[in-house]
Amino acid sequence: MVMEEICTKLADILQVDEIKPTDVLASFEEWDSLSVLSVVAMVDADYGVNLGAKDLLGVSTAQGLAQLIAQKRGN
Amino acid sequence: MPANQRSFVDEMANFKFSLARSLKLKEVMGYDTHRIVDGPVCSSDLACFGLQHLFRNNLLSPDGFDALYVVTQSPDYLMPPTSNVIQGRLGLKHDMFCMDINQGCAGFVIGLLQSFLLLNQPSVNRVVLINVDVLSRKTSARDRNSYPLIGDAASITVIERCEDATPIHSNLKMDGAGREALMIPAGGMRLPSSPDTAVVEDDGDNNFRAKDHLRMDGSAVFNFVQVEVPPMIEELLRTAGATTEEIDFFLFHQPNRFMLQKLADKMKVPYEKMPNNIVEHYGNASGVTIPMAICHNLRERLLSGSVRACLAGFGVGLTWASMLMRLGPLDFCDLVEFP
Repeated sequence: MVMEEICTKLADILQVDEIKPTDVLASFEEWDSLSVLSVVAMVDADYGVNLGAKDLLGVSTAQGLAQLIAQKRGN
Repeated sequence: MPANQRSFVDEMANFKFSLARSLKLKEVMGYDTHRIVDGPVCSSDLACFGLQHLFRNNLLSPDGFDALYVVTQSPDYLMPPTSNVIQGRLGLKHDMFCMDINQGCAGFVIGLLQSFLLLNQPSVNRVVLINVDVLSRKTSARDRNSYPLIGDAASITVIERCEDATPIHSNLKMDGAGREALMIPAGGMRLPSSPDTAVVEDDGDNNFRAKDHLRMDGSAVFNFVQVEVPPMIEELLRTAGATTEEIDFFLFHQPNRFMLQKLADKMKVPYEKMPNNIVEHYGNASGVTIPMAICHNLRERLLSGSVRACLAGFGVGLTWASMLMRLGPLDFCDLVEFP
């Protein structure tokens, strides 16, 4: 399902083994501007959704990101 | 371009990020070496050096052109125009149209467009277009967001009428609502430079810069490029009746390798048709990156023949512009070092 997929992709970007849906992204050491850019690029390439950095400001967890993607895709 | 070369690895210690993260950034963005001016070198210094090189090598005559466009965002002075400064320093003829254009990343395409328009005037036979920036002087060395990719350089393009030229197609878009994505906040009339604007502080993202410094909202710029550039190219090709496959090279502005690869992916263009290697060698010198991409990657080919090229610039403004043209054969296509 999409949630698991997003967690895997985020773990990859943050260079950690696993991310749970409720983990706070900003608590990871690797959560910096490069990670934010990588997330924006991943969401664009894999889900066809264009997120601004401002959109991401309101997102604190993988779950939040999945919800934002679903909302932007209109489903 | 300046002979002075700096390397990302040497500069990593200036940033407030772990070395591991900075190395990751280097790998993803393709940062390696960049060329920046050493000391208080100005735009007109690079431009005059380049023009004198052309004069000395009989590639251009000092009185052989009727207009001088200078596209820069780092002028010598707020006034007079840098084009007039260059004209005066080199003692060029008075019967000359000098004009500065305040544009950056899209500045090469915009400069070409303006040059073509001017060549419609019967009294104008040849236009010299100079793109130049020394923005390293306005970028904080402690700003990992901008400093690693910045480059200084000038390019000189000589444009003249050609009776048997093939059509050139172009389109251009602007959106001033996005003006804050790339800006130098202080130093103009809105916020004059003062001791306050020179204070270097953490901008909230572990990058240290002053209001006098260039600042870039990397994610916003990335987003803008991915959203706006592919449809602009589609529109250009559609108008010209061309397909992506028929284009030999996509010679795009060079913000960094990452952004260009994502753009190529989105446009379904093979990487070898869209060079992305300028930032790693020289840095991003705004409007100069397209000429640099041409000289670095296609020199031999363009001296002897021609390619069907799609040019595109995108960035500060926001501005995005593209152009489809047959490029070459060129008389001259060299990179020259400013000592």
